[in-house]
Amino acid sequence: MPRAFITGLGFITSIGNDSTVVEQSLRNLKHGFELYPPFDKPDIPCKVMGTVKGFFTDSADQEDWTYPKGYAFKRELMRTMAPHGLYAHCALTQAITDAKLTDLDVSNLNTGLYTSSGGSPMLTNYHHGRVEALGVMRCSPFGIVASIVGTLNFNLVAAFKIQGSSCGFSSACASSAHALGFAYDEITLGRQKRMFVVGAEDGNKDAILPFAGMRTLSLQTDPNIASRPFDGARDGFVGTGGATVLVIESEDEVMRRGVTPYCEVLGWGQASDGYNVAISHPEGAGLQVAMKHALHASKINPDQVDYINAHATSTLIGDISEVKAIKAVFPQASTKPWVSSTKALTGHGLSLAGAMESAFSALAIKKGFTPGSAHISKVDQACEGINILQKTEAVAPRIVMKNASGFGGANVSVIFKQV
Amino acid sequence: MADTSHASSVQKAPFIALAKPFSPEDEVALREALKRCSPSTFEAAVQFRKTGNPEHLPAVVIGVVERYVEPELRVKLKDAADDLRMIEDLGIDSLTMMEIVILVEDVLQMTINNEELRNLRTVGDVKAFIDCKVRGLPPPKPTKFLPIEHIASVMPIQPPFLFINEASVSSLGASGKYKISGQEFFLQGHFKDNPVMPASIMLEALGQLAVLYLLEGLVPEPGKAVSPNMIFFTGCEGVRAHRICKPGDILSLSIKPKRQKMPLATFEGIIRVGQEKAVIAEEITLTFGFVDAVVAPVENQATEGAQLSASSSNPPLHAAVTSS
Repeated sequence: MPRAFITGLGFITSIGNDSTVVEQSLRNLKHGFELYPPFDKPDIPCKVMGTVKGFFTDSADQEDWTYPKGYAFKRELMRTMAPHGLYAHCALTQAITDAKLTDLDVSNLNTGLYTSSGGSPMLTNYHHGRVEALGVMRCSPFGIVASIVGTLNFNLVAAFKIQGSSCGFSSACASSAHALGFAYDEITLGRQKRMFVVGAEDGNKDAILPFAGMRTLSLQTDPNIASRPFDGARDGFVGTGGATVLVIESEDEVMRRGVTPYCEVLGWGQASDGYNVAISHPEGAGLQVAMKHALHASKINPDQVDYINAHATSTLIGDISEVKAIKAVFPQASTKPWVSSTKALTGHGLSLAGAMESAFSALAIKKGFTPGSAHISKVDQACEGINILQKTEAVAPRIVMKNASGFGGANVSVIFKQV
Repeated sequence: MADTSHASSVQKAPFIALAKPFSPEDEVALREALKRCSPSTFEAAVQFRKTGNPEHLPAVVIGVVERYVEPELRVKLKDAADDLRMIEDLGIDSLTMMEIVILVEDVLQMTINNEELRNLRTVGDVKAFIDCKVRGLPPPKPTKFLPIEHIASVMPIQPPFLFINEASVSSLGASGKYKISGQEFFLQGHFKDNPVMPASIMLEALGQLAVLYLLEGLVPEPGKAVSPNMIFFTGCEGVRAHRICKPGDILSLSIKPKRQKMPLATFEGIIRVGQEKAVIAEEITLTFGFVDAVVAPVENQATEGAQLSASSSNPPLHAAVTSS
């Protein structure tokens, strides 16, 4: 069975639009939050967002959008994009350069693309509004392809001329972890030699505000403490958007091209809570099984895992479920592995989270650090019993586990290994 | 004889009475809709909405098309030549056509059907289409692209004296291309050791394009068709040659109908090589005539083997009964 390696990364995130800045943010525990102007209204209770910098996408008219220097987009390319489509295109461009891929490496029968996003509520609202106000035939011909959940694969497969496997994954906050797992399968099953894994979200008012109604968003007004997974005073998550792309290649491709990978993807597992539409299982039942499956598929024991990049979003219930699951799977949990949630720095990227945080893990392994869990004043009593790393350590973890859990009780766990 | 030329019928048709008066709110909405078009496009649109005068339409249409064309290709629209092709020359794909149509619908307050869009291949097609829509006229015949096989099958002129490789024909005129191969029989003698395309042959090429227009572009009366065997050259005026054309040159031919009064049809024509003018003909006049259009035979299963008449004057059933 072929092995799979991560060979390229691309980032458009609240903590940096390239891996150098992202690395610095993770090492120095520098967050990407600010008071979000669209939330600055008396009837909006949440105020903080993990904002993507350097872009303007708060318009349904793509010709109003701006993006950083170094990228160039023709109107014909942008007209079918959601805001997160723009982020994803930039991140994929970065990842291709990072992995030193040529156009032929990108567009061939053996290279595929898996994506995940929640679609663009902003554009969906806008286009439906046009249908209501102006009539059916005045709806933009691009309304659907720019708005619905598949928008990332429609756009990226066409723009980058992808000829291999392509699909979108939809399991809420576990989506891009699912995409990563299934992309790994494409390679280890010998179906593809290279897979791009893309996670992206708009991270704007329309995408995040519905969560306020669910009472899952932090109502903190101080950007420095609003997102604090595992902390006793946490009160919900902070939203974020952007995009992250990982390039996964088979061992043969790595050898043929003579590149040095970030890490190996050792294996993955998934399981479901079967419990509640939105609330995680109190004992983290599905996540326990997912982690066990991942360890088994990777042929390693729990005591070999150095670091878990947790799903922990800073919600009252979710963080506890994960802690319980970790304690159940790792007998030495109080000392090993280290656990942290980088959502304290970035916010919760929803569909983006799995890919973004896997990419952080790959970066940490390659560059020799283990990111800490920021903004903790006092660990919640209910979260005690695991080894929460509160400051970044300048140590490369050799084996990392990445967890992701989504609505309905989807749980995914992926394992990475230093090469 | 009734004047069947489309060009002159357009000039005589009246404006459609305006459906709604043009309010200040309408002007604000129009400015917003055209905010990425040139100021002159907005001005033309305002004038059209206020007066209903179709003379303003070409500026609006070109302005909207220009807004959607890639910046590097916009310069091609400066001449606004009617035979500029939307797809090949301006890079406008079918999705962009939809964007253009939606904005035109919004600005001109009209509705355009899908089927009608598919036939719009050139800038001229788009202008003529919008013009007819606004005047309430049926749209003109769309531009047809004719490859050499089709041309050879309909023309009375054949190689070695056919000087058109491919053509586009609409009811507004025709354009074509001919590459001087160097194998043309007359080049051996014209001139000795220096092959040059004779000006008379280039004039002939324009005349042939006009013949093709009469056969494929002209909309005849119902039941009638232009006869290929009755078309002859009668005269020309104001013919000038500006460029020596040699083997390897690709002649871009173009003719437009100028006036028509049976049995004569007069055209203006121009040949370019690249951007350079090669030949100008202010007038080329041909004589032509109509015959009855052929009616396809109707199959009659009850009388197998019966000889069916192809002529419309002998009804098929009658022929079947009388011939058994």
